[in-house]
Amino acid sequence: MAVGLDKVRPDKVTEEKHLVVEGMDISGHWNRMFEQRVIWDYDVDNLEKVTNLPGGESLGWCYGCAKCTAVCPIDIVGDYSPRKIHRKTQIGVDLFTSSDLWLCTTCMNCLRVCPKEVNMIQIMPAVREQAVLTGAVPPELQKAFEDTAKHGNPLGQPQRKRADWAKAAGVPVPIMKDLKRAVDILWYVGSYPAYHPRGMDAARAAARIFNALGIDFGILGIEEKDDGDSQRLAGEKGLFEMLAEQNIAAFGKYEFNRMVVTGPHEFNAFKNEYPKYGADFKVAHYTRFLVEHLDKLRPMLKKPINLKVTFHDPCYLGRHNGEYEAPRELLRAIPGIELVEMGRCRENGYCCGGGGGGMWLDSFTKEHTTMRLSERRVREAAEYGAEVLAVCCPFEVSRFEDAAKSTGNDKLIVRDILELLDESMKE
Amino acid sequence: MTADTTLIIGGGPAGLEAARLIGDLGQKAILVEKRDALGGIPIAEHYAALTHGFRSAEEAMNELIAAARANPTVDIRLSTEVVECSGAAGDFRVKLAKAGNGAGETLSVGSIIVATGFQHFDPGRETQMYGYYEYDDVITLADAEKMLKENKFVTPSKGTPPERVCFIQCVGSRDRQIGNEYCSKVCCGISSKQAIEVRQQVPGAKVFIFYIDMRMYGYWENEIYWPAQEKYHVQYVKGIITEIIRKGDRLLVRGEDTTMGRPMEVPMDVVVLAVGMEPSKGTKDVAKILGLQQNKYNFIEVPHGLDPTATSAPGIFVAGAAAGPKDLDDTMSMAGAAAMKAAALVAKKARAVA
Repeated sequence: MAVGLDKVRPDKVTEEKHLVVEGMDISGHWNRMFEQRVIWDYDVDNLEKVTNLPGGESLGWCYGCAKCTAVCPIDIVGDYSPRKIHRKTQIGVDLFTSSDLWLCTTCMNCLRVCPKEVNMIQIMPAVREQAVLTGAVPPELQKAFEDTAKHGNPLGQPQRKRADWAKAAGVPVPIMKDLKRAVDILWYVGSYPAYHPRGMDAARAAARIFNALGIDFGILGIEEKDDGDSQRLAGEKGLFEMLAEQNIAAFGKYEFNRMVVTGPHEFNAFKNEYPKYGADFKVAHYTRFLVEHLDKLRPMLKKPINLKVTFHDPCYLGRHNGEYEAPRELLRAIPGIELVEMGRCRENGYCCGGGGGGMWLDSFTKEHTTMRLSERRVREAAEYGAEVLAVCCPFEVSRFEDAAKSTGNDKLIVRDILELLDESMKE
Repeated sequence: MTADTTLIIGGGPAGLEAARLIGDLGQKAILVEKRDALGGIPIAEHYAALTHGFRSAEEAMNELIAAARANPTVDIRLSTEVVECSGAAGDFRVKLAKAGNGAGETLSVGSIIVATGFQHFDPGRETQMYGYYEYDDVITLADAEKMLKENKFVTPSKGTPPERVCFIQCVGSRDRQIGNEYCSKVCCGISSKQAIEVRQQVPGAKVFIFYIDMRMYGYWENEIYWPAQEKYHVQYVKGIITEIIRKGDRLLVRGEDTTMGRPMEVPMDVVVLAVGMEPSKGTKDVAKILGLQQNKYNFIEVPHGLDPTATSAPGIFVAGAAAGPKDLDDTMSMAGAAAMKAAALVAKKARAVA
C-alpha cells in the first residue's frame, strides 16, 4: 500500500519497553498498541486513473462479491485479490506506485469466477505499461526487460548460443537456415528450453521424441527470439511488439505446415496475440501435438515409471487456452504411472507464480508474500502424496525444483512431461 | 365467439387473477394453459409457504383457481397452446391447439394478456463452481421448497436433519458471464423465508446466508429480513461463496468474508443455491407467435414506463414474470392492471360499433 494509506498510522504505534501488569511481564511487543487511520475521504481520482486507461475500465465494475478472493493464488500467501485492489484504489491508493501492481501473475482464476468480468488480464498490463513508461519498475524486472531487448531472451544469454543445446541432444536437430526446404513442423523452442539447464533437458527430450516419431521438423536456431508475451503482461508492450515483428519476419522466411511450441506462454502469444500483428499460421502446444501421434508413440513407451505422478496445469495452457486433457493423456500413456490429482487442478489449477512477469519478480514477490506460489504448490503436491510433479511449461521445472528444496520436499521429483516420455522410451 | 373476448395465455397467478377480474367485470375471457393443471409454478414446483403472509401456496392458489372457475364468463382450456396469431388490437384471430395435437380452433378476440411466467435458473450452467449435479447436498431454492412443503427438511445424502445449512445468493443473476445481468428480485427474500422455515422445522440447525447485497424492501424487510435475523437467528455474512468442495461427508464452502477481509472455509451439511428467474419456454415461444419484442434476456419487452403492462404490440398486454423477475405482490398488481387495460379496450371497441 502506498505510503500514508496503511490501515495503521505508523506514528501512532506505542510500545512500552518494560511493563509488568499484575505480576505479568508484558514488555515490548506484548503491549504494543495501534491506532487506525480514519478514512476521511474517498479519493476516486486514483480509481479513475486506472479506469480511464484502455484495458483498465473493468476495475471500476467490481461490486464486491469477493468470488475472486477465494481463488486468487496471491491471497493464499498474502492479502490480495481484485476485490481488495478495487477497494484500496477506491480509498485512494495509487495502483501505479503500489507494490500490488507487480504481484498479479495474470493466472486468470479471478476472471473465471467473476460475475462482472473484471479483467485483471487487461487491467494489470495497462497500468504496468504506464509504470514502465515512468521507469517505476522493480529492478529485477527491469533487468529482464533489458536482457530481452539486448539478447532476445530474458535470461541474458548470447543470441548466437540459442541453438547450442541441440549439440547434446544425441539426435539431429535441423535448423531451417541450413535445411533450405519446407518442413512439416516448425518447432519454436523458446528461451528457457534453449538456455536454462533444466529447460535444455526438456528440449533435448523433445528432439529425441520427434526423431523417434519420424517428424519432419526444423528449428529457427539463432533466428528465434523470445515470444515476449510475459513481458507484455508485465507492462513492456513496446518490447513485445518489437519481438513479435522480428519473430513474424523470421517465421515468414520459411515454409511449414504448422508450428509446435514447447511452452504455454509462447502458445498463447502465437495463437492469440501474434495474429493481431499479421501472423497467420497454425500452432499447437507440444502436448496436443504428441497426443495426435499417440498411436505411434505408445508402443515406444516401454520402460515403466512406477511412481505416483501429479500434474500441474499451466495457467496459460489450461485457463487461458482451455487445454486440460492432452497433458493427462500423455501421462496416462506412460506405463507404471499412477496419476493423482491435486485439489486445485484443471480450471481451478494453482498458479506457479511465473506468469505475467512473476518469473522475473522473485525477490520482489518474496518480500510481499509469506511464501512463493511455487512453494505453496509443491507443498500441495506433497500433501497429495505425489512422488513426481509433472509439468509442461518451461518456467515451471526450475521454479518447482527450487521450491521443493526450499520447503524441505527434496524427495519430490519435478519433470517435464517430455522428460518422462523420453525416459519411458529408453531401452 | 366475437371480438368481445380477452384471451389470457397462462394459468399461473397472473393469468388466474386477470381472468377472475375480467369475469367480474362481466366480460368474456378465455384462459389457455399449456399444462394440464392450473396454478403455475407455485403448484407445479410444489412451493411451501408464500411471501408475504406465509400462507400455504397450495391453499392460496386453490382460492385463485376456484375464483376463476366460478366465473361463468371465464372459459378455461387446459393442455392448450396458442399456435398462431394475426390481426390487430380489437380484432385478433388466434389459433388454439391441444398440446401435442396440431388440429385446432380459430377464434376472434379483442385483446390478449400474456401471463406465461418464468422458470428457475438451472445451476448446471455453473457446475464447475457449485457442483449442483455433482453433490447431493447442493440444492436449489425450488428443491428446498419441496422439502419444506412436506415438513421434511433433511440433508439429502443422509436423510437426517442438517446441523448447518447455508444459502448462496445471486446464483444465475447479476452475472455478465452467464448473460443474466439483471437482479431476480425475489431470491434474497425467498432465501430468508426458507431460512426462517428451516429454523422452524429444524430448530437445531444453524443457518447462514452468504450474500453480495441483500435487496429486501417493503414487506420483505419487516416480515422477513428483520425477523429472520432477530427472531430466528439466521446469520447473514457479506461475501459470496466461490466454490464448494467435498470434505469428508460434508461440504466445505469457500469464499471471503468481505467485511472482515478474511478468507473463509466453512463446513455445511446442506447448501441451497438461490437460483434466479429466467423467462419460461412458454414466454419465449408466445413472444415469437404473437410477434412481441423481447428484451436482451428474452423476457417480454415493456416499452413504456408509464404503462407497465403494455407490450410492443397494441392490444396485447403482459402480466407477471413474463415481463421480468417479479414477486407475487407485483404480479397480482400487474394482473389487475392488465385486466383493466384489456377490458377497457374491448369495451371501447364495443361502444364504437354501437
